[in-house]
Amino acid sequence: MRVVIAGAGSVGRSIARELLGNGHQVLLIDKDADDVQASRVPEASWLLADACELAALEEARLEESDVCVAATGDDKANLVLSLLAKTEFGVPRTVARVNNPKNEWMFDESWGVDVAVSTPRLMTALIEEAVSIGDLVRIFEFQQGRASMVEITLPEGSPFAGRRVGDVDWPTDTVLVAIIREERPLAPTPDDAIEAGDELLFITTTEQEDRLQDLVAPGERHHTSLED
Amino acid sequence: MPSRPFRSPVRPARPAEWATASRCSVASVHFVIMGCGRVGSTLARTLGRNGHDVAIIDADASAFRRLGTSFEGQTVTGIGFDRDTLIAAGIREAYAFAAVSSGDNSNILAARVARETFGVEHVAARIYDPQRAMVYQRLGIPTVATVRWTADQMIQRLLPQGAVPELTDPSGKIVIAEVPLAEGWVGRHLTDLEEQTGARVAYVTRLGEGTLPRPDMVVQQGDLVHLTVPRDDLARVERLCDQAPAAH
Repeated sequence: MRVVIAGAGSVGRSIARELLGNGHQVLLIDKDADDVQASRVPEASWLLADACELAALEEARLEESDVCVAATGDDKANLVLSLLAKTEFGVPRTVARVNNPKNEWMFDESWGVDVAVSTPRLMTALIEEAVSIGDLVRIFEFQQGRASMVEITLPEGSPFAGRRVGDVDWPTDTVLVAIIREERPLAPTPDDAIEAGDELLFITTTEQEDRLQDLVAPGERHHTSLED
Repeated sequence: MPSRPFRSPVRPARPAEWATASRCSVASVHFVIMGCGRVGSTLARTLGRNGHDVAIIDADASAFRRLGTSFEGQTVTGIGFDRDTLIAAGIREAYAFAAVSSGDNSNILAARVARETFGVEHVAARIYDPQRAMVYQRLGIPTVATVRWTADQMIQRLLPQGAVPELTDPSGKIVIAEVPLAEGWVGRHLTDLEEQTGARVAYVTRLGEGTLPRPDMVVQQGDLVHLTVPRDDLARVERLCDQAPAAH
């Protein structure tokens, strides 16, 4: 795969290294990069330019790339680059970094963004997953936020403790994909009983999350999302 | 996307506003401007003097000093494409939005948010980069591409001869250009000029004043003739104007 990454800071460079390690071709674009930084990722191609300038993107032959990654520290540039990549160069997949969560709402198809990655949101989700019990935590959102992976740790005294998986009337569009018990994942079968302390992993839709929360841990709606 | 609310440009006015509104030709409406640099502050002051309601946004509060002490509009410190900032500036009641900050990216972001999130009908963005300006124009955001315009103006002042386009239509096909005329054209009718070149006289600058061409008008010494010409045809028309006209 041919990948163009705009923004050769530590994020861009580490993405580049991983992709190169997996055998892909990488071009890094940055307007401030110097030779020292270039020497740190020697297998990547480098372009010293403003990634929002059409001339630079033409020189980068963006139309030939498979993925465009907007990884700069400037949300405005990431949005503009994604738009140009989609509308002017027809790049099949665009991935954009969200620096300020307040701007996250803009990172969608109207700016040509296929996948938005927000580090603060990911970190919050992972923190909540580690510390909260009895609350539904959204770990990950798939494409444009329609499907999501959520987890809930069953609290002591939950009415669900001891029930069979197959007996539960799960909400529509919700799949219990794994039970993590004492740090070991189990593939749930209808005969398995859910125990207090189990960490339940679901794939569901964002609309069904509240119903799932009410079902498994009623009365404990503390779960927050970054929109609040 | 939210549906666009019906937006009437005429707001119910308080008595004080009626007094100022009666001096202007358009009823007082609400403008939101992003960027309080030279252009933004000039826009704000001009609109304010014409009796309109103005809110101006800038990330740097010290920029508002450019507005002067007589400015009566609202200043909002914040990021111009941030929804909360725009709402504070009254974007929901805005008749028009101008994005004139120093950053192309900020301007286009703000212009699209104003138009697509808040349904403001009259939106324009100043974009320095001529190539990106074309892209955004195709997206439907009217852009003012200052670099091309400024470059043309500079050429006009630096080059002693030659026709330079003063105005180009959005498709780029038609220009209005001041075309120098050879001495032999003095005393000839403008209609002659039109017939021989195929161009149309847009206006004539005579003694420093712009004048519309009249059917009986003849070229006088010192006249600057501005012709409407297809851009591709400009060179040919220029050559014809540079020679003495064909005999009657």
